[in-house]
Amino acid sequence: MEILKKIFDFSGSPRYGLFATGIAGLAFLLFPILPHSSFSMSTIIQFFMFSLYAMGWNTIGGFGGQVDLGQAQFLGIGAYTTAVMMIRWNTPFWVSLPVGMSLAVAWSFVIGYPLFRLRGHYFAIASIAASLVLKDIFDAWSFVGASRGLEIPTTRYSSPDFLHLIFTQDIYYYYVIFVFFLLGFFFINWFRRSRLAFQLRAIKSNEEAAGSLGINPRWAKIKTYAIATAFVSTVGSFHACYIKNIETDDTMGLDISIMIALMAMLGGMGSLWGPIIGAGILIPLKIYIKEWLGARAGLVGLDLVIYAAIIMFISALEPRGIWGIVEKVRRRKLA
Amino acid sequence: MDILTGSLVAGLLIGMVFALVALGLTIIFGMMDIVNFAHGEFLMIGMYTALIVAQTTGIDPLAAIPAAAVVGFVLGISCYYGFVKYLLRGPMVAQLLGTFGLMLLLRNLALLFFGSADRTIHSGILVNRAFDIGMGIIIPATKLAAAVLAVLSFAGTWLLMNRTRLGRAMRATALNRQGARYMGIPTERMNALAWGIGGATVTVAGALLVNFWSVTPFVGLLFTMIAFAIVAMGGFGSIPGAFFAGLLVGLITEFPGFWDFTAYITGSSWMAGISMTQFKYTGVYLAYFLIMIVRPRGLFGWKS
Amino acid sequence: MRKTHAILAVLLLFSAILFVTAPSYGANTVKIGVLYPLTGGAADEGRELRAGAELAAEIANNIMPIDMDMARRAGISSLGGAKIELIFKDHEGNPTLGADQAKKLILDDKVAGIMGCYQSSVTKAVSAVCEQYGIPMINDSSTSPALTQRELQWFWRTTPNDFTFTKDFFELLKGLSEGKVKGVPAVPKQQIVKLASACEKTEWGSQVSETIDAFAKQYGFEVKRALLYAAKSPDLSSEVRSLQTAKPDAMLFACYASDAILMVKTLMAQKVSAKIVWGQDAGFEVREFWTTLGDDVVGILTRTVFAPKVAEVKKVSGQVNAIYKVKHGQDLSGASARAFTGVQAWVEVLQKAGSTKPEAIQQAANSISIPGDQLIVPWAGIKFASGKENKGQNELGSGIIGQYQKDKAGKIVLEIIYPFDLATANMIYPFKSF
Repeated sequence: MEILKKIFDFSGSPRYGLFATGIAGLAFLLFPILPHSSFSMSTIIQFFMFSLYAMGWNTIGGFGGQVDLGQAQFLGIGAYTTAVMMIRWNTPFWVSLPVGMSLAVAWSFVIGYPLFRLRGHYFAIASIAASLVLKDIFDAWSFVGASRGLEIPTTRYSSPDFLHLIFTQDIYYYYVIFVFFLLGFFFINWFRRSRLAFQLRAIKSNEEAAGSLGINPRWAKIKTYAIATAFVSTVGSFHACYIKNIETDDTMGLDISIMIALMAMLGGMGSLWGPIIGAGILIPLKIYIKEWLGARAGLVGLDLVIYAAIIMFISALEPRGIWGIVEKVRRRKLA
Repeated sequence: MDILTGSLVAGLLIGMVFALVALGLTIIFGMMDIVNFAHGEFLMIGMYTALIVAQTTGIDPLAAIPAAAVVGFVLGISCYYGFVKYLLRGPMVAQLLGTFGLMLLLRNLALLFFGSADRTIHSGILVNRAFDIGMGIIIPATKLAAAVLAVLSFAGTWLLMNRTRLGRAMRATALNRQGARYMGIPTERMNALAWGIGGATVTVAGALLVNFWSVTPFVGLLFTMIAFAIVAMGGFGSIPGAFFAGLLVGLITEFPGFWDFTAYITGSSWMAGISMTQFKYTGVYLAYFLIMIVRPRGLFGWKS
Repeated sequence: MRKTHAILAVLLLFSAILFVTAPSYGANTVKIGVLYPLTGGAADEGRELRAGAELAAEIANNIMPIDMDMARRAGISSLGGAKIELIFKDHEGNPTLGADQAKKLILDDKVAGIMGCYQSSVTKAVSAVCEQYGIPMINDSSTSPALTQRELQWFWRTTPNDFTFTKDFFELLKGLSEGKVKGVPAVPKQQIVKLASACEKTEWGSQVSETIDAFAKQYGFEVKRALLYAAKSPDLSSEVRSLQTAKPDAMLFACYASDAILMVKTLMAQKVSAKIVWGQDAGFEVREFWTTLGDDVVGILTRTVFAPKVAEVKKVSGQVNAIYKVKHGQDLSGASARAFTGVQAWVEVLQKAGSTKPEAIQQAANSISIPGDQLIVPWAGIKFASGKENKGQNELGSGIIGQYQKDKAGKIVLEIIYPFDLATANMIYPFKSF
């Protein structure tokens, strides 16, 4: 089938690149079985989670060219839906996941319609505004625990519980998120060659011209936004089951929105690998710097100073991110 | 009744200071269509400057304002020549990414140097004094001084932009860059000046605010959002627009008081039961969102 | 080719680093992980907590001339004299970070148990992690009642919770209306019936707010306004204005350090007046509170667990306080005293268990009874509830309500006002307006 072909179509990438990816994939598959520290396991789980967040962001941010800085609100919707349903009605994860996704996508339509009237920085700031408004509402809404947050009572379930995604050992979470990661990865591979992505590319280069060709720019963007939202809320639901203790500041704050956008922007917007590279650099960087600084209060913030510097360099010299650099080099070799 | 007048006065006073905060943003935007995500961070630097100067030299915090202005001016100009200049060459996304990176950099450098603990000014001539002008209106002296100085700075900047040759050169560059270049106006320098003046006004606003708001490396974001809301409402590039929109936003942040007042006069107990203080700033974000959707040009703007 | 290879090399390098496990050293020590807010908005409290905990560990590990069992042993005798080693980690007031740190302590540092975490929101998250891994946790400093209402098997709390503390306050109000308070003739209830509360909005504050509402109903008082606010707010003037409009007789607060100071300053700026101003410990009890605000705190009431005055009454408290004062230049506070007691509880539990196996510790904790004269805090002792209700809560703890007053030398001291039989001075009533 056409779709299946597109999902596994890597014709644009050089042979050695695919080979290297294959090796990395195998390494990740085998990692939990080999001796490791719990620390590295949780780092890789976070890497997968953020890669997914960034891949989702990338659809509207990179391919769509609309920099969205409010994705955390959808993370929150996904996480809170799963948490509330599990706490109140013992709903299995696999049921609360689509429910959360539907709510998130619905919300994306509600704010997307007015939001996509805007472009550029106006859009970015409006997306921040929308996400902060939702956060404030959640902060005061006792149904979702207001500021106190929600706690999923692990005593109710006996691990390993695949229905509710409650495990005592991280290894299960690792494989679950790895599977999600692979699914997301192949989805984006399909997406980048899909009709929607071509439409977005046309819109990015000249929106008016695209419109005259019969493309409805606003609608294309809204559809893409829904895809981004679905990605983010899915991982949000996973987040709720993994962390089990969610609060608005952690899940819906601006910092998370920024991190998500950052990873995609750093790694290379509008590419398949960009978000993964971005997450692959930023997550270990953040975690290891924090670890090396330990409880020494004096160097808090150093990790972010480093990424800020990296971002500033990239934005001034190569706005297409690290992947942009890679492609430029490759092109030069071919020429 | 006290609640109403109290909130009104508080809203207007703080609105004047907010207007000054937004002034720099609208000047920079008017000049080169760049939205500075790091605007709030400049403010934060102004706050720390005034605080530290006052605490180390022992002079009154209000007297530290010129120091903050100088720091802001230098900061703005160096950011321009050192970084923003290169961003202008790239696509809009790069500019967004870039000022964003600048925001993170400044915020975390502050975190590194100053730590995350709150700091406030505890002593000064006007600190802890208030004027009671009856009708339940008690105005803390620091807030009054801040509002007055904000209005003065605003007026000063307006005079600079509209009544001096330099100001006219800057406005010419903003309106038509090519044309200004043909006229012999050094547009690069105008750009830098915009950043310098923009930086100076916002650091002065910070120096005023720190007299009654505590400062942490994280206060920047809130003010960036407030500044954006004001500039959007007043119209990107419009100086008088920034002033009136500032007052409006100041009043919006005091709406919990209006809510309480309405609850009181209507005797409605469900209204009295809900405390709106949690949504002080939500109102500002909502206002920004609605304005951008409904009237992107803002109230006075000439650019959209 | 180069660039991709470079990227690949970097990725592989990261994976190589990830395989490195942190080695742990044996020696004869028992490791306890301690999670405190060493930076962030509660950093002041964090510092005091750490100081108290470290002192207790020092006393436990050495023989010192103090009238308590743990001072007479060097280390934990039932474990062959093993020294207790506290591993401190900073959670910055962030529950997710706290949970992460707890996981690392348990899995990588292989601690025998955990203590902490001050902010109830963080304790909530960390205790969930401990429960998941079956590692015992003793909570020395968080007071949200909900923490012990979860029927956890691996969680014990030494400090009394807000249920007890808030009840104390209403007992004080009741006593005020009945003339039981030292130095104040009976105040007609009508004059103190209207209350207003402002609490920070995370786990701790919201619980306090609810507890206040519940007790007000029970004791027959009216809560005219109950606000929740964000502890990190830079400005509280609308909140204070909102409180003012309710025209309360008594104002009740639940604030951490930085917002407590800000709150009082805002109250002063707006010239708010009330007959009683009460803080639910935390920010109102920290040293920075009265050193920053100076004389303006006189008349403010705060619930606390320890006041320097106790040192004059209880021998052990005096002995430990003297050592603490020499080290840190100030008296023990509610925070440091409770951290001290938490470590002491750990020492005694380990002593009783005679093993570092979780099950042994669990059994020891469930059955231990530490008599009050061993403790520096004025409690009847430490004995953890075992029934379903409040499982893990120490039932023998109690609170004190103190009031800031000026002593004859003009210094600010915290006088004990409640319990009435422990009162050390006359209560200043009504509160002189700001």
